[in-house]
Amino acid sequence: MEMGRDQKLTVGRVWKKKFFIALFTGFFSLFLLIAAFGFTGSALALPLGGIGDFIVEFDELQGSDFELLPHMGETGNADQSPMVRNKMGEAKIKGLHIYKDLKMPTGQWVRFHVRAEGETTIKGLIQDARFIHANLSFEGLSIVEKNTENFAENWTQNAKKITITDAKLITDYLFQSMVSLKGAKISTELIDQPEIIEQ
Amino acid sequence: MNRREKRRLKREEKLRKAYERLAEGGRFARWKNERPFWGGVLSILSALVILYIPLHLYAIAFIPGTFVFIGFLFGGLLLILGIFSLIYPQFSTVFGVIVIFLSVLSIMGALGGFLIGTILGIVSGSLLVGWERHEVDLSGFGPGAGGSRKGEPAPSVPDAGTGSLQA
Repeated sequence: MEMGRDQKLTVGRVWKKKFFIALFTGFFSLFLLIAAFGFTGSALALPLGGIGDFIVEFDELQGSDFELLPHMGETGNADQSPMVRNKMGEAKIKGLHIYKDLKMPTGQWVRFHVRAEGETTIKGLIQDARFIHANLSFEGLSIVEKNTENFAENWTQNAKKITITDAKLITDYLFQSMVSLKGAKISTELIDQPEIIEQ
Repeated sequence: MNRREKRRLKREEKLRKAYERLAEGGRFARWKNERPFWGGVLSILSALVILYIPLHLYAIAFIPGTFVFIGFLFGGLLLILGIFSLIYPQFSTVFGVIVIFLSVLSIMGALGGFLIGTILGIVSGSLLVGWERHEVDLSGFGPGAGGSRKGEPAPSVPDAGTGSLQA
């Protein structure tokens, strides 16, 4: 490369002091955000769906503004599969346990657990399930049949209040506008085979 | 020699080494040198990692009230900022600050690309903030010659013949 005497050359480089100050500020902000989540036990809009179905178990759920409607949705194995869509305005859950079995690239199966030791509060719950095994009780239950072109509207269940106990659900989609998990524990477990639930 | 003078000489020495490396480099090295290359590339990479989750949840991204759309927004903005930092290097500090801000906030709505995207974004943003451009004037190599960064005295440039540093 020829460098003429009347040439201006741009030399660009990263100055360590500025870099480390910015890096420290960034990680400190990240720490503050995670600490805020930790103190309140809350996360906003945690989309758990779309990555395959998983199992939801809990001891007791008290919910309000319950709605159940038929739904066709994507699962981990199919583009379209029949399921039910449960909606609740608000729900309080005791003994929540969510887990999913995943096969690692090495061939080993691993179970990912999310447990809440305290009470879980959810607002704006939407859940798609292919299998529900639970004890249900309703307050103000209405079952409505309609004659429309949209099959999801033709048969719906609505209840002011719902209580579900000893539940086990195969869930393909879960959305919560706001969720607060008290005493959340996330862990992994090596397993021989994934759980297969006879339907 | 006081501390300020020592610091100035140290800075000039670093610039001189960078200039010598550049003199031996090719066209790509010169192009890379004129912009915050690694900051921009890592920003683009962190944007792609952060976008990975919303892209897999695209089916619900446009439902009102979901935060997946925010994941798209943050990842998309990071991608644009990464590209712009390579095109407009003079704004690297501003871009860097915004990249750090968006990377931290991407925890909501995109899970920070499993935190990997967030960490990459913070590092790339810091690289953008730390990057500075100095113009070295090669005309004459005598006293008073040399380029400058605004507000600082002109750094010395090596004598073309002897290779020594002239103040």
